[in-house]
Amino acid sequence: MNIIIYRISQTLAWIGGFVLTAMAVLSVASIAGRALSNFGLAPVPGDFELVEAGTALAVFCFLPWTHLKGGHAEVDLFWKVYPPAIQRGLILLSDGLMQIVWLLLVWRMGVSMEDYRANGEVSFILQMPVWWGYAASMVPAAFGCLVYAWRLLEDVGLATRPAGYRMSAGEH
Amino acid sequence: MDALHLAAWSFPVLLALIFLRVPIGLSMLVLGLLGSWSIYGDSAPLLNQMKTMAYGSFSNASLSVVPLFLLMGQFASLGGMSKALFKAAEAFLGHLRGGVGMAAIGACAGFGSICGSSMATAATMGQVALPELKRAGYADSLASGALAAGGTLGILIPPSIVLVIYAILAEQNIAKMFAAAFIPGIIAALGYMAVIHLSVRFNPTLAGQIEPISWPERWQALAAVWPVLMIFVIVIGGIYSGIFTPTEGAAVGAVATGLLAWQRGGLSGRKLREAFEATAGGTAMVFMIVLGAASFNTFLALSQLPQELAIWVGEQGFGPYAVLTGVLVFYLIFGCVMDSLSMILLTIPIFFPMFAALDFGMTPEDAAIWFGVLVLIVVEVGLITPPVGMNLFVIQSMAPEISIRDTYRGVMPFVASDLIRVVILVLFPGITLFVLRF
Repeated sequence: MNIIIYRISQTLAWIGGFVLTAMAVLSVASIAGRALSNFGLAPVPGDFELVEAGTALAVFCFLPWTHLKGGHAEVDLFWKVYPPAIQRGLILLSDGLMQIVWLLLVWRMGVSMEDYRANGEVSFILQMPVWWGYAASMVPAAFGCLVYAWRLLEDVGLATRPAGYRMSAGEH
Repeated sequence: MDALHLAAWSFPVLLALIFLRVPIGLSMLVLGLLGSWSIYGDSAPLLNQMKTMAYGSFSNASLSVVPLFLLMGQFASLGGMSKALFKAAEAFLGHLRGGVGMAAIGACAGFGSICGSSMATAATMGQVALPELKRAGYADSLASGALAAGGTLGILIPPSIVLVIYAILAEQNIAKMFAAAFIPGIIAALGYMAVIHLSVRFNPTLAGQIEPISWPERWQALAAVWPVLMIFVIVIGGIYSGIFTPTEGAAVGAVATGLLAWQRGGLSGRKLREAFEATAGGTAMVFMIVLGAASFNTFLALSQLPQELAIWVGEQGFGPYAVLTGVLVFYLIFGCVMDSLSMILLTIPIFFPMFAALDFGMTPEDAAIWFGVLVLIVVEVGLITPPVGMNLFVIQSMAPEISIRDTYRGVMPFVASDLIRVVILVLFPGITLFVLRF
């Protein structure tokens, strides 16, 4: 089980990178189309709407892997001063807060998605339903809940970190 | 407790959480939610606000420039340009006193012009330049200090992620911010070179020298870095002239550096996955802080603290320069322990209204841009000041045999040159602003 969680998180990070690259290529195509509009080409319609939704999707894909790697910005100035028991407690506190806040945010995001689906709101240029962007991001966001829960299990000793996946605290 | 006191007291609590090593973004997020909840006195408006909080923060059109610049930096590292830049700078400077060190700074500046992140610059240039500096007989302290400081050129010279975030928060034009930061960035590079030259002049045992090479060879080395110059001109020139938006510019830069890396064989499957993972780490870190700041700043806005503080500072009759100095010193002190982006996201919404109310005898836009460049420099100093300076750790992790004490000692003269530069730029705003007259 543990190896699956880590593999999926890592794969999501790659997918996010791929989404970003695709966005960059799309933007360049759009600029080229705009520059060559005299020759019958045109910019990609609604490119920035796709870039917005793509950025959100990429970020949601990046978050679980970064959490597993301990890659969020933190200040470990006094960390070595704390006794090991306190250190364990503080890790539990951080991971617990993350889990609670993320569950709340994903729940509210889901409600928002349902709202947009019910009112049928669409984006300005592409006429793309707004809830589609939410739905795409919902997948990695919901998976995030699972990852944060897994970290909590690791903290209390109910799960182990798979071999070969190193936690690199302080490496940003 | 009224809202204002609640907001004021949230700061010590926030700092306490951060010093307990709760991730900075998460600390801001949790306190912001709790604070807003307490001011609303009811969970319904809070739950409503949370509906779009995550997706809304992450799908912000202006912020999409950040992951693209990070991706561009990763591709630039894989493009092998760091070595070519170093060789070119060394060809012209290497035979001078402290020349190889100055070449390392020059190469950092060149790399900074296509990379918007300081740590990526320190890491990439460190890999290339540390062995070369050792071979040229440089003392550990000077070599690691120079590269840690040189890394900050990654954000001082545009493109720069910190500047993008400032521009969004202060509602300024990103293109103008980039243009204004350019000359101060060049001055920074020259200042670091001067530090190396003077250090070696006073203590010749710090560094060796290499033989001069012929002029044709120098031009050849310089010609090898043309892709860097081209990418910089296209991306920054394109953004500044309005041919494309900053996000489009970052996309062009990412595609251009990606093609360069691919053409030079740097994009093997494993390298590409590593580049994506590094981009993932950087992006998630930034957006977690963005999400936290969105929550915390909503709470602060509800409490009216920023407005009240601006009014209070106005009533005290402090001179504008006294307030400016106070703010800059605040950043220098907190920069020793805090992450630069968190500091900007947390404090600009508070300091900017205060600053905007002051009269420096220039237009509000000029003042905002000038302030942004000054803030950029002082938070960047935080990357190289002990005890928590990310660039110092980056260099340290690459050369574990160099003691952290040597690195701390070696970087101090560079910090001094930063401080001198800040004073010069405060006294002569024209240095920053004259570019905007064209």
